[in-house]
Amino acid sequence: MDVLANSRVMDMAIDIKGDYNDSMDIIERYPREKRYTLAILQDIQRKYDFIPREVMVLMSDYLGMPISDIYSMATFYKALSLKPKGKYIIKLCNGTACHIRGSESIREELETILNISPGETTEDGLFSIEVVNCIGACALAPVMLINEKYYGGLTEEKVKAIIDGIKEGHR
Amino acid sequence: MNVKIDGKYYSGNKGETLLELARRNEIEIPSLCYKEGFEGLGRCRLCLVEVIEGNSTKTVSSCVYPIRDGIEVLTNTKNIVNMRKDIIFLLLLRTPNNGYIRKLAEEYGVKAPSRYLDMEREEDCILCGLCVKACEKLGTNAISLVNRGITKKVSTPYDDASKDCIGCGACAEVCPTNAISLVEQDGKRIIWNKTFDLISCTRCGKCYSTEEVLHHIDEQLGVKTQEYLCESCSRRLVGEKFKEAFQNLI
Amino acid sequence: MNDIYDEKMEILVCCGTGCLANNSYRVYERFKEILGEESEVAVKPLIKATGCNGLCEKGPVVKILPKEIAYFKVLPDDVDDIVEKTVLKGEIVDRLLYFDVNERKRIVSHKDASFYKHQHKIALRNIGEIDPLCIGDYLKRDGYRALAKALFEMTPDQVIGEVERSGLRGRGGAGFPTGRKWNICSTYESFPKYVVCNGDEGDPGAFMDRSIMEGDPHTVIEGMIICGYAIGSNRGFLYIRDEYDLALKNMQAAIDNAREFGYLGSNILESSFEFDLEIVRGGGAFVCGESSALMASIEGNIGEPRAKYIRSVEKGLWDKPTVLNNVETWANIPPIIINGAEWFNKIGIEGNSGTKVFSLVGKVKNTGLVEVPMGTKLNELVYQIGGGIIRDRPFKAVQTGGPSGGCIPKEYMDISLDFESLDKIGSMMGSGGVIVMDDTTCMVEVARYYMEFLSEESCGKCTTCREGINTMLKILENITIGEGQLDDIDLLLQLGETIKEASLCALGKTAPNPVLTTIRYFRHEYLEHIKEKRCSAGVCKDLTTYYIDSELCTGCGLCSRRCPVAAIDGKLKEPHIIDRDICTKCGNCFTVCPRNAVKVGGANYEC
Repeated sequence: MDVLANSRVMDMAIDIKGDYNDSMDIIERYPREKRYTLAILQDIQRKYDFIPREVMVLMSDYLGMPISDIYSMATFYKALSLKPKGKYIIKLCNGTACHIRGSESIREELETILNISPGETTEDGLFSIEVVNCIGACALAPVMLINEKYYGGLTEEKVKAIIDGIKEGHR
Repeated sequence: MNVKIDGKYYSGNKGETLLELARRNEIEIPSLCYKEGFEGLGRCRLCLVEVIEGNSTKTVSSCVYPIRDGIEVLTNTKNIVNMRKDIIFLLLLRTPNNGYIRKLAEEYGVKAPSRYLDMEREEDCILCGLCVKACEKLGTNAISLVNRGITKKVSTPYDDASKDCIGCGACAEVCPTNAISLVEQDGKRIIWNKTFDLISCTRCGKCYSTEEVLHHIDEQLGVKTQEYLCESCSRRLVGEKFKEAFQNLI
Repeated sequence: MNDIYDEKMEILVCCGTGCLANNSYRVYERFKEILGEESEVAVKPLIKATGCNGLCEKGPVVKILPKEIAYFKVLPDDVDDIVEKTVLKGEIVDRLLYFDVNERKRIVSHKDASFYKHQHKIALRNIGEIDPLCIGDYLKRDGYRALAKALFEMTPDQVIGEVERSGLRGRGGAGFPTGRKWNICSTYESFPKYVVCNGDEGDPGAFMDRSIMEGDPHTVIEGMIICGYAIGSNRGFLYIRDEYDLALKNMQAAIDNAREFGYLGSNILESSFEFDLEIVRGGGAFVCGESSALMASIEGNIGEPRAKYIRSVEKGLWDKPTVLNNVETWANIPPIIINGAEWFNKIGIEGNSGTKVFSLVGKVKNTGLVEVPMGTKLNELVYQIGGGIIRDRPFKAVQTGGPSGGCIPKEYMDISLDFESLDKIGSMMGSGGVIVMDDTTCMVEVARYYMEFLSEESCGKCTTCREGINTMLKILENITIGEGQLDDIDLLLQLGETIKEASLCALGKTAPNPVLTTIRYFRHEYLEHIKEKRCSAGVCKDLTTYYIDSELCTGCGLCSRRCPVAAIDGKLKEPHIIDRDICTKCGNCFTVCPRNAVKVGGANYEC
């Protein structure tokens, strides 16, 4: 958000097409009805890993909705984010089953290894950490999801190996 | 519809809320997020009362409770007063330096032990949502409720100067705790991080509104105003015209 | 029923989320490779990817029919062995059988295992037995027969009557009688009406709805169509959590399939009845499990609840009469219509008929999904089905009802699992999460955890929920770091009561439960934190020191080997010592010590 939190973006937003060219294709898949706002936002999130400000303006025009309402939605729902996310999004489960089986120490380990807190992205743009509520895989507790892949029965050592593995594969 | 409030009977209209009925009859029920002409929001919870219907007693927030024939209402039971005190206590923790909330706390004899109070906190908004409703009613929709839970707040998108804000100040006007900053100096008005040029009255020269507001009104009414007049001058003008017309008659 | 599958061998590979995470799809593919059309092997069994079998702890699960052989923790490398021995020769691969911790032996058919044999499956009846993507599998197990019966043999009133007489109550948590809800809605002459499925399962530690949507999507669809017929609605919505990828995929496929087969759309089964369904993806907000917030979300608003002095059966979605039920409730409808209200009523106990699905998680040996008759005793659930506590540690509490439920102590282990009994002791049924806690769980910290969860998930609309939960959270945080004072407990109780009474929606009205019940049943732990600055579970790190009792230590060295920071020193067969300056209080030594020689001391403990 910080990179964009500047009013000049707002002014140029209307005619921006370049970077978010495809977003109109996503938006136009839905009828011009208010009830599709969340669905469009989710598709945009999936496409860009965040909700770009420019796209909110396009949506506001298309749906005939105030931009403040779209912003309100984008900040209310946890599945949506205003900040760009890393290439690998680590969703660490903090459901009750995971919590009492030690997800806290897994979080600490992730923070130490990646040197970021939950909600942040590493400088190289590779990893983001999110602490999420129960992903419904309690038998694997403590568990985390990295881009749709589950890693269960975590220990501090396992976490380190997993992250190292991803870094290695990326080199 | 007959409703018994604190022992006396009152006649209510269909569709009326309990708080509306009470206000109409000058029965005191405290509230922060209710404003006449606005629908009840049910946010601040201060207007809680006890409703007895048949065998069941329940606590309801009177600003959103539609009255029913034959119900009995108690507005001041010990239980209700204690809950109100707790609500004021919670608001005091949120806005420890707000004059209005502090006064309310004093009135109700609510004291927050210092170990729970963070006097450094500079918060005045109690999230009643009236400002958002006012902005919505004007058709400007420049502000909205953003985030959720304890991080909820009222703001323009990205806290930036919003293209939709016309600087009318209706939000500040309806705010019960004076939480919205509206600064006027040197012919300018600053609100929600946006600076507006103030228009001065063509008759008396007093700065009274923003250009955006006047445009907005013209747009809504579908007219083009020729002369910008402040409220008192326009009232005087109407009076003069009337006098003129009257004199022509005789 | 005659069909080509009789006597033919079937291999069912569990592909529920738990098993998938353990590579079960590779297992499925490997079977296909060896036994598929192209292969040389003479036997050609049917190979199916099914939904969740419940015992996720021991996944991936593979079942071989008709002999009912069940294998657990199957790796892709085990497949060759299974084919060679079981498929071709009918022999059993011993090492992959279920080891029953209660009976201390290996068991061939999963149905004989303690985990399964006490269960009674209605809502979960098809899961693990069918391929959720294959409508034929569902049809073979009486699928859409209830719909045909309702449409052609019953009037809408008779359908409602049947559901009312069955005594079915909402499985989402509140326990409102389902039939009565339908009945009230049917009396309003305002159209269109809507049917909504709440699939926004958000309780941490609960995944029953996910399993049903993944493993048996058609039963939910069928239940909703029947309701549409009963109340006079032609339109339904399924609100499903966006994180539930597989559930969304399977549900959408099932809707498409049902439409193709004429179960959805206009003129259903040539009956002239019309009904269709649409999926709405949730946005990741726990509060949207609350019905009015869920409807606000479907309409395209933020998920803020509204006061429900006018019920949603009268004015719900877009202010039209709406019936909203949870996934598990819908799954119960088809069997009730087929087998009748009396059949359903005989299961469970009076006032709480039928079964309930629980997700049994936490410090329990057999983590998984369990469906038992209402009224089953809590200890049966934890010990018989769950197999007891991991490492046989002492049991401390069970938390039921999700974040708004309560913590139940040992004294109430024989409590009957039904709506009223759980309410009575300050907890609740909720959607059926059962979280087992042992002596290494700190109850103050658990209360803090739930307040943290709820403070993030509160929509923030009303003062008591938003500010109240946050204030309780701060007080609890102070207690867990040793800065609590005695009157904090009274303030927690006082605020808790006000938040329960004064909040706008069910989230706020139940939020204080974890705090109130832990104070009620575990006050001594609060006092220990406040007065002695000690957390005997060793969870609150600021109030914990570990030390080794030299009388008990045999010097086996296990603790020192498991210490991640090399803080434990000592010669073999001599008492060891923990260096407090190095110790990070991870608790490994405490849990591994075979002699219980590692002890937990308070913040200021002096050796």
